[in-house]
Amino acid sequence: MTAIAVWLGSAEPVRSIRWLDGALKVAARLGAATAVAAGERSWLDLAADRAARFGLAALGVPTDLQLDYLGWAQVMAAAARQLGATTVLVDEASRPERFAEVAAIAELTDAAQLGRVIALAAEDGVLHASRAAGKTVQAVRVHGPAVIGVRIAGPAIDEYPTPMPSTAMRHVSLTALGLDAAVLGHRALSPRISQPARKTVERVAEHLAVHVVARPPVRDSQPKLEAAKPKRAARDTKAGAKPASKAKGARGNKSE
Amino acid sequence: MAAVLVHIDLDGERPHPSSLQALAAGRAVASSWGATLYAAMIAHAPAQASSTWPAGRATPRMPGSAKTIEAIRIALVRGGADKIVVALTDVPVAPLWSALGAAWQGVLDHLRPRLVLFGADAPAACELGPRTGARIGARLFTRARPASAGPSELELRDRDGAYVRMTDGGAAVVMIGAAPRIDVGSDDDIDVMVLELPGGADARIELMGSAPADPAHAAATLIALGDDAAADPEIVRAAGQLAQVIGAHVVTGAQVARGAPLTPELCIAVGAPAIDLAGTTSVVKIGGTGGRGVDGALSGPIAAQLGELAHALEGR
Repeated sequence: MTAIAVWLGSAEPVRSIRWLDGALKVAARLGAATAVAAGERSWLDLAADRAARFGLAALGVPTDLQLDYLGWAQVMAAAARQLGATTVLVDEASRPERFAEVAAIAELTDAAQLGRVIALAAEDGVLHASRAAGKTVQAVRVHGPAVIGVRIAGPAIDEYPTPMPSTAMRHVSLTALGLDAAVLGHRALSPRISQPARKTVERVAEHLAVHVVARPPVRDSQPKLEAAKPKRAARDTKAGAKPASKAKGARGNKSE
Repeated sequence: MAAVLVHIDLDGERPHPSSLQALAAGRAVASSWGATLYAAMIAHAPAQASSTWPAGRATPRMPGSAKTIEAIRIALVRGGADKIVVALTDVPVAPLWSALGAAWQGVLDHLRPRLVLFGADAPAACELGPRTGARIGARLFTRARPASAGPSELELRDRDGAYVRMTDGGAAVVMIGAAPRIDVGSDDDIDVMVLELPGGADARIELMGSAPADPAHAAATLIALGDDAAADPEIVRAAGQLAQVIGAHVVTGAQVARGAPLTPELCIAVGAPAIDLAGTTSVVKIGGTGGRGVDGALSGPIAAQLGELAHALEGR
């Protein structure tokens, strides 16, 4: 039987635990699975509690490191190796940074990757996944080792009890996983203060600006290519950087 | 000279607008940093047909009609590329790492870029971006844009304030969400490099087919109207105007079940819509107060706030 691990991440879900529950529920349906979480003790207790509700074993990696996607992927890849897991599910809906960890874990375990999976089932040793891809849903078969990012909701939960310290979760240190905290520290994120909600139109517009739909260029506004050739020659003769305000393409830069 | 590499996705027979936006950001940054800007796309060339094509530098030849190829080339030239790279693969192009990974790896090996850009909304970005970052050990920025880092330097700044600058050590992979409109006076005789990269697909992922998705569940950006807001024609009109600007899908209680779990990247919640958003969603509330996990909140007249937002974003 394929060993399965579920990566629940390094911090508790942002908004709701139903997506975490959804990932655990899918894993439990696929077979013997182990839930893996890393981070602070209170989060590990919550992860252990939710895993126990679905009858899953749990592995916790206590650490106060704050890592980027590749740092956490190293932790999960090491845990997967220790568990002998060849299929890794990732709860990628609970926190925004999680989706990138799917690819990173796949890279470190030399597995196939598939993100944005909205339904997953096993049949005759093959995983059948439905994947959201823009305006379509793709039907995909997964053979062999894979890291799969799931966005599958469990039942709605308004309130859940504060988890007690868990004895069911097996705790392993970074060292026991073959990882060096000092080396992992190279993937550390600098501490950030969480921003309060933006409360003016200008500030909200700033936040939304990176979501404005990209429009195809208007052909009529494009310059004639032939007329531009001397500019290229002039640029190529310059060495090193030039002021951004005079750089090619700088015109119209609203950030300046 | 450092290389800035931009992945170009195709939207039918043209470069995807989001990829062109990334190219514009790349142009601005490459000029500021004194780097060479490469635009790289992956094209399907059946093995039999491509076997006669020379590897390495060669006359630009790609599958498709001559008119299509020329249109793509001109779009990239006008987009500001210094050089164009076409990676030919014998695998049909699909926005999956399993299909594109081998060819893309060939491009990375060839150029060894310091900065790799993707259009944040380009089809393959979510599959290729993080895997590229992991492969080259890069920092990853998921929705950034160029911003001034002083009188003579641009940086790429992510939503959370993290940034990439010329003086940074190490590589970075950046998904571009916005870029200045560029006025490129580029020339037409730029280099086109064709790389023939056999390597095949990752057989572990088998794409069986695809079907249209329910827009409410598939849209990357949603404007969700509460029941009261949905009953007000002025608010509905203003929401539609904003939706056009940001490419959002508008949902009401009549279209999704009460408490439906949704995972858009961004949701503008107008009034009090009865939906259940994932933690991955950035939430902006209109006609409501902020709170934990809310990135923006505007109180006051809803229709007016929506209109002002649309107006503020239209020119970007």
